[in-house]
Amino acid sequence: MALEEIFSVFLGIFTDYTLRYVALGSAILGITSGALGCFTVLRKQSLFGDALAHAALPGIGFAYLFAGTKDSLLLMLGAAIFAWFGGIITLAITSTTRIKQDAALGVTLSVFFGLGIVLLTYLQSIGGASQGGLDRFLFGQAAALIESDVINLGILAAFCFAILIVFYKEFKITTFDSSFGQSLGFPIKYLNALLTSVIVVAVVIGLHTVGVVLMVSMLIAPAAAARQWTLNLKGMIILSAIFGGLSGITGSMISSTTEGMSTGPVIVVTITAILGISLLFSPRQGLFRHLRNQGKPQASLDKAKTASDKERRSHGNFQ
Amino acid sequence: MEISSDLVIVGTAALVAANCASIGVFLVLRQMAMMSDAISHAVLLGIVVAVFAVGGREPVPVIVGGVLSGILTVSLVELLYRSGKLRQDSSIGIIFPFLFAIGVILVTQAGNVHIDAQHVLYGSIEFAPFDVLYLDELNMGSKSLWVLGILAIANVSFIGILYKELKISTFDRSLALGVGLMPLLVHYLLMVMVATTAVVAFESVGAILVIAFFIVPASSAYLLTERLSRMLILSVSLGIVSAAAGYLFAIFADVSISGSMATISGIIFGLIWVFAPNRGLIGRWRRISKQRFEVDLGIVLTHIQNELKAERQVSTLTISNSLGWTLEYSKKLAEFVQEQKFAEMDTQGNLALTGLGLKKAENYSN
Repeated sequence: MALEEIFSVFLGIFTDYTLRYVALGSAILGITSGALGCFTVLRKQSLFGDALAHAALPGIGFAYLFAGTKDSLLLMLGAAIFAWFGGIITLAITSTTRIKQDAALGVTLSVFFGLGIVLLTYLQSIGGASQGGLDRFLFGQAAALIESDVINLGILAAFCFAILIVFYKEFKITTFDSSFGQSLGFPIKYLNALLTSVIVVAVVIGLHTVGVVLMVSMLIAPAAAARQWTLNLKGMIILSAIFGGLSGITGSMISSTTEGMSTGPVIVVTITAILGISLLFSPRQGLFRHLRNQGKPQASLDKAKTASDKERRSHGNFQ
Repeated sequence: MEISSDLVIVGTAALVAANCASIGVFLVLRQMAMMSDAISHAVLLGIVVAVFAVGGREPVPVIVGGVLSGILTVSLVELLYRSGKLRQDSSIGIIFPFLFAIGVILVTQAGNVHIDAQHVLYGSIEFAPFDVLYLDELNMGSKSLWVLGILAIANVSFIGILYKELKISTFDRSLALGVGLMPLLVHYLLMVMVATTAVVAFESVGAILVIAFFIVPASSAYLLTERLSRMLILSVSLGIVSAAAGYLFAIFADVSISGSMATISGIIFGLIWVFAPNRGLIGRWRRISKQRFEVDLGIVLTHIQNELKAERQVSTLTISNSLGWTLEYSKKLAEFVQEQKFAEMDTQGNLALTGLGLKKAENYSN
């Protein structure tokens, strides 16, 4: 692709009506999942997002089956309910049996996805041509976004950020030191449920642009990239949101210039490239820096832990 | 050789299920379920590149390509998390979507690959009967049956020959290291088998539903038995049952075959989760409430003993008041202690311990 062409596409964001919504929708997704993904990464729940995203698929099928419309808000509601349900099932399996988290995630994601495929093919067999659009939720199709979709996505994202800002301190404690939080009297259980709910909303926003299959990447990669540049949680969230938004816009722009290209894969390749650059070149702990100090390997999460401890000490208590 | 197409599909599905479910046992036990998720996604890239390179879907290059990309995935994941920058689960969640995304882009952008994006996700087992293997113009029957049959032999010999090594390195890695069983080599061999199985199963059930066959039957079997050999047999049987039942359901409801096989395996898992004799939810609930009852029995007996020592009278009402139980539950316990002849109730409803009850209560308080 010629450089001029790319340039003209980016100019199109300001001039072209459709392109503007495509870019806006993808940016909203990237920013939200980037910011909230920080928590899944820091809470060692990276692959939980994968299970949530896959579990959302049957929700879309059921919502369409019962409501009969492709109204994006209803589909997203169905998706959110099933994603939540999948998350609960995963937690229930690990807490009531000896099956470990990895296998529980595998069970949830594959069975729910299978159920989703059954529903989509069932809708295809009973319906006319109108249901064909549902498989765009597999790999995402930002080009199919219309104004009302983008407004819905925007409202949901704003809701997520409002919760994130209001409960920032609480989320921070449950993430880094939940037993300390509990001793201070925070309702850790409810806070965890709330945080999971916002992450579910972020996943649901991603269904339009990235699709269920690759959504996990949008939760992990921006956060992991941001993590290479900063040790501060606030900084990490902001940087991760920027990375996510950038890759969303870039990915949807590139895919919209090519016919038949799903948005999801392109966005994922973009964000992974950003992560690769961060891993190699970040000043604090880039690979080149790392090679020089090979004598003293340090796990980055240990550092995060120490940083949070230090911060906690310097703040005294939270009350 | 003429076999009806239904039989070919069911046979293919059963072989996919058996192959995946046997290897899956080790994945579940070694807590590597998500690694198989990563591998089964990543083989797509290898398959597509192989198809480009050879110009067709010949089984051997496709398998080699897929296995190589599977190994690439495992190595990249390990490289990332060994570098100390990311945790293992984050590395998995970054590497496989990336490789899968490249694969999908290649598939959708190159028209002549004969794979479309949906078959990548849920396979095309319904076409298995039409893909026929010719040997010198001789019709040898379904190609997928042959490939899966050879894979089954490979898997059986892998597990059979390395059974001891697999078993010890799974349950006690340091022992395996100590007696020179080379757990690292076993680990990589297992990864190669996972990748091979994933590539071969890919055509039939796609990248994601393969995981259903790897993980779900093995997890169900894990809830039913304590022995590795039994777990292997159970896992394979459950896999085959879900494949057959899933096919019947798919034909009945006219839906995706592989999707309905995954759904059925999930339903079977759910039933076992609830009803499994020892580890099921009902068994667990029974055990917990039985234990609670045991404890409460001890509490009630020592309570009666203490109250009598303090020369206070004990009735169902005082038990419920002082121990904070509901009146009904106190009544149930009071009846139980009388049935067991631990205590007697006089006409005013006051409880007194019998000799047996006194002994029991002292047993508890010591």
